[in-house]
Amino acid sequence: MSAQPTVEVRGLSKVFVLRGAWPWDPNREVHAIKGVDLQLFPGQVMAVVGQSGSGKTTMARIILGLEELSEGEILLEGRRWDLMEEAERHRHRVFYQYVPQDAMSALDPQQNALEHVAETLRVLGGCSRSEAHEKGIQMLHRLGLSERMQALPREMSGGEQRRVTLARVLALEPRLVVADEPTSGLDPDRRREVLRDLIGNLPPTAACMLVTHNMAAAKAWCTHAVVMLDGWVIENFDPRSEMPVHPYSKLLFDPWSAPLPGTSLATEGCPFRNDCPLVQGPLVETCRRSMPSLQPLDHHQGRVACHALARPATPAAEANPSSNAETPPGPEPIEAEPIQPPAQG
Amino acid sequence: MPERLLELRNLSVRTHRRVLVEGIDVDVNAGEVTALVGPSGAGKSLTARCSMGLVNVSPGLFGGQLRFPGASESKDWYAPHINGGASAMQRLMRETASLRGSYFTYSPQVAASALNPGRTVGRQMLLAMNRRTSPPQDMGAEIAALLDEVGLAPRTAAALPGELSGGQCQRAALAIAIAPMPRVVVADEPETGLDPVLRRGIIELLVSVCQNHGCGLLLISHHEDTVERLANTIVRLTPHEEAAV
Repeated sequence: MSAQPTVEVRGLSKVFVLRGAWPWDPNREVHAIKGVDLQLFPGQVMAVVGQSGSGKTTMARIILGLEELSEGEILLEGRRWDLMEEAERHRHRVFYQYVPQDAMSALDPQQNALEHVAETLRVLGGCSRSEAHEKGIQMLHRLGLSERMQALPREMSGGEQRRVTLARVLALEPRLVVADEPTSGLDPDRRREVLRDLIGNLPPTAACMLVTHNMAAAKAWCTHAVVMLDGWVIENFDPRSEMPVHPYSKLLFDPWSAPLPGTSLATEGCPFRNDCPLVQGPLVETCRRSMPSLQPLDHHQGRVACHALARPATPAAEANPSSNAETPPGPEPIEAEPIQPPAQG
Repeated sequence: MPERLLELRNLSVRTHRRVLVEGIDVDVNAGEVTALVGPSGAGKSLTARCSMGLVNVSPGLFGGQLRFPGASESKDWYAPHINGGASAMQRLMRETASLRGSYFTYSPQVAASALNPGRTVGRQMLLAMNRRTSPPQDMGAEIAALLDEVGLAPRTAAALPGELSGGQCQRAALAIAIAPMPRVVVADEPETGLDPVLRRGIIELLVSVCQNHGCGLLLISHHEDTVERLANTIVRLTPHEEAAV
């Protein structure tokens, strides 16, 4: 891990301001990302998972400079990407590529598969016409599209369209690929094929960030998984060797393991505290007051943001939160009191 | 024994070149869930379409019986059309047209693109409700009640599909599917494109709404774990590779 990270994100926040329709309609602020730290090294494949609206896509777009950040720093290969002028960024963009969610709308309806790849190579990759043509054929061949080089997007199946978008990106030999749900709307077999084509054909030193809803893909293909909830990163672990430990991540990876959470997230403290099975006794107040930071655990390689899971490691006195709640530390929460009178009377 | 609503026996569909499905039996009972599972290309969607009388392959039906005991006691809808080629499939489609949208309805795969983008959700529900045998007097109240049942606010009726999120669109599509008071709801992978938690929520909602209304549910799904938890009957399909003779 001595190498320089391809992506380094420090304290990233993003606030969208929704303008009111009328002068008397106030503007609203939406905090899409709330202080995210990440590192992604060459050769790693990171899955970013989370429910819809958790800020995954926003983060992916900010990292590529398609969206401005509100606070924090982004370093791509050691350079401050967020401070760079657009003209300066433009020179580097060819190495940082994006795979869109909706392949059909990302392809030119008038161009066939080969033209898509060859044009990208000519315009961004600086290849000559014949070189681009040659390389394009090779790339499409590697992705199993040798029969479909002359096909227009509307004549291709969903999986083939995805593979054209992949060919276009991979032909440039990028150092970072950010793929935003490249498999949405495909059936499981096609999904596997597209991921195999994407991750199997990455240049060896490239880093890949895969935004996905598909937990099986995260387990099968990724060296890291980052779980996002309401703009926070709540867990960071290796999905190949470990299971998630945060109660929300567990639910995401196995939605049938616990009762479904309510629709509303808590607005202050830990967003998941209303539905969290670990919030008991004095923790009620702790979880209400503050969002925990990512911390390493004793028996877990990853890092987890959870007051309940981090507790045994730090204050030894209150090691057993569920059974003895009679000696609460610091300011006693009001929530704990109503529990006692029924027990006495 | 719950009431039988749909009975498909020994379904066999072929194209000129290959066998698509062979010897499939599907039963749907009132208040129960029948699931069709299998890999892609196994004919799940085709079987579901055939059970609604929509056979859009040529020459199409080679065998099978289709009965709707809830609509007409013992009529076999396939009988006059077996081995009849494309024109017979067209006739079958026309004959069963009156059942679609009233006896059974369809909940689409990706609701966001299946809903009419130019009509409000309420208007689409209204059109669906007019398919009932006795449409209710107070349509507004009925629309609000149905939206409430699928977990949407009454003001959603005034929204266009483009203003809703993916999960909300799926709920709206379910409200539209249930609006004509059908006996059977056919849901083609209603969980596609949703995140895992939302996916479970939508499927559970679909099953509970169908049970409340006493409908049978024919559910197509890729997700083995979902199906094993929820389905009363599971029909497993396997792809047919051999050529037709």
